[in-house]
Amino acid sequence: MEVSLNRDTFFVYLLTSLEPKTTYSEQELVALLNQQDNDAFNYLYDHYSGALFTIVNQIVPDKDTASDVLQEVFVNIWKKIDSYDAAKGRLFTWMLNIARNAAIDKVRSKGYRDNQRNQPMAESESSGMGMSTNPMINDVGLKKVLTTLNEEYRKLIDLSYFQGFTHEEIAKMMGIPLGTVKTRIRSAISQLRTLIR
Amino acid sequence: MNIKEYISSGVVESYVLGLLTAQERFEFEQYCEAYPELKAARNAFELAIEKQAMENAVKAPTGVKEKVFSAMQQKPASNTSKMFSMEPTTRRSPGLRWMAAASLILFVVAGYFAYTFYNQTKELKNANLELEARVNKTDSVLNKMLEEQRIMMDPNIAVVNLVGTTPAKATANIYWDSTSADVYLVVKNMPQLPSDKQYQLWSIINGPGGQLQPNSLGLFDLGDNKKVILKMSNVKKADAFAITIENRGNTGGPNLEQLQSMGKTRLQ
Repeated sequence: MEVSLNRDTFFVYLLTSLEPKTTYSEQELVALLNQQDNDAFNYLYDHYSGALFTIVNQIVPDKDTASDVLQEVFVNIWKKIDSYDAAKGRLFTWMLNIARNAAIDKVRSKGYRDNQRNQPMAESESSGMGMSTNPMINDVGLKKVLTTLNEEYRKLIDLSYFQGFTHEEIAKMMGIPLGTVKTRIRSAISQLRTLIR
Repeated sequence: MNIKEYISSGVVESYVLGLLTAQERFEFEQYCEAYPELKAARNAFELAIEKQAMENAVKAPTGVKEKVFSAMQQKPASNTSKMFSMEPTTRRSPGLRWMAAASLILFVVAGYFAYTFYNQTKELKNANLELEARVNKTDSVLNKMLEEQRIMMDPNIAVVNLVGTTPAKATANIYWDSTSADVYLVVKNMPQLPSDKQYQLWSIINGPGGQLQPNSLGLFDLGDNKKVILKMSNVKKADAFAITIENRGNTGGPNLEQLQSMGKTRLQ
């Protein structure tokens, strides 16, 4: 198994050294990224940057700031690829979580919050209890799916997923018991499966 | 555990979206190893999310890719840097690590200084005690010298030279304070005596009709301590002072055959 994987990797490497490849399997891609293969990373960027930008932009509405976050996300993917464990999930899921965490960190950073306070934009109201993003721009993907949930579920998912609040923080904010927050978020999120499919 | 209930509880979606706590995540990963259907459910939701995301992808802003690639060349991949996994965001600033390191260093440095200061204090205390002992000794010597000086310089004090009357030439001085009647004996040159003998100082008054009236001012030993000044009994009136050798603890009169030295006062 391991021998064949290594041999595959070798041939893939041989091929890519002649000509940049246009498609990779996820396994090939991970193996090449671990060898810090520039062509593989080039492919990774071209293939996934749009999807990752969408998620970042849903959390960070300002496009320039979202671009900075996207850059940071890809540099981190390049640097941390060796910590990706295929047993724990797909490569995209791993990258999606890096992107989401980086975006939430950015929104919560002091510099970003100060900047938002100084700009009298419609979005500046979004920090806090409401929906975090402008629905006109960002009602795509997961956010679009969210609009089909009821108001309370939508709010819970928004606070926990798009704004990164812990269940404890949400319980405090909404004035409902922690246990209730947990169960409601679970049931809200389990609806996503049926909606997304 | 009912795996079907677990799968439909929303835990799968929460895991994939990074909404579980560290403990819940660990549990989920353990169950994934044990229950293939759980892993399959996870994979299905991951694929659904990925498909959804890819379908809704917008083009990333231009220029980001170039920045990413130039950043990659500036900072080569590091294997020792912070791990990323499917965890909910843990907002721990990198400053915290530095602060932890800094406080550790501070702790060690403070410990070093505390130890050094403790040792220094101990040394200083010992040095202080030593100095104190020396000062005490010097003080007592100095006080003795000052007392001698005072006696010598006092205008009320008369000096009487006692001249040796034997070949041994025992000589001494008497310092006699005429106001307080204090008598000090300064031994100059007197031979040591056998242990059963003592010197005795007498004041002598010329009585009417040439009768000598001796009065004991005290027995004394020379001792090994070479005391310069001996304080003797007081006397108000004396025509002369004399020193005899007597048996130890003599309570009788002077043994004038053993007269060693004698001197007349100038007050007569």
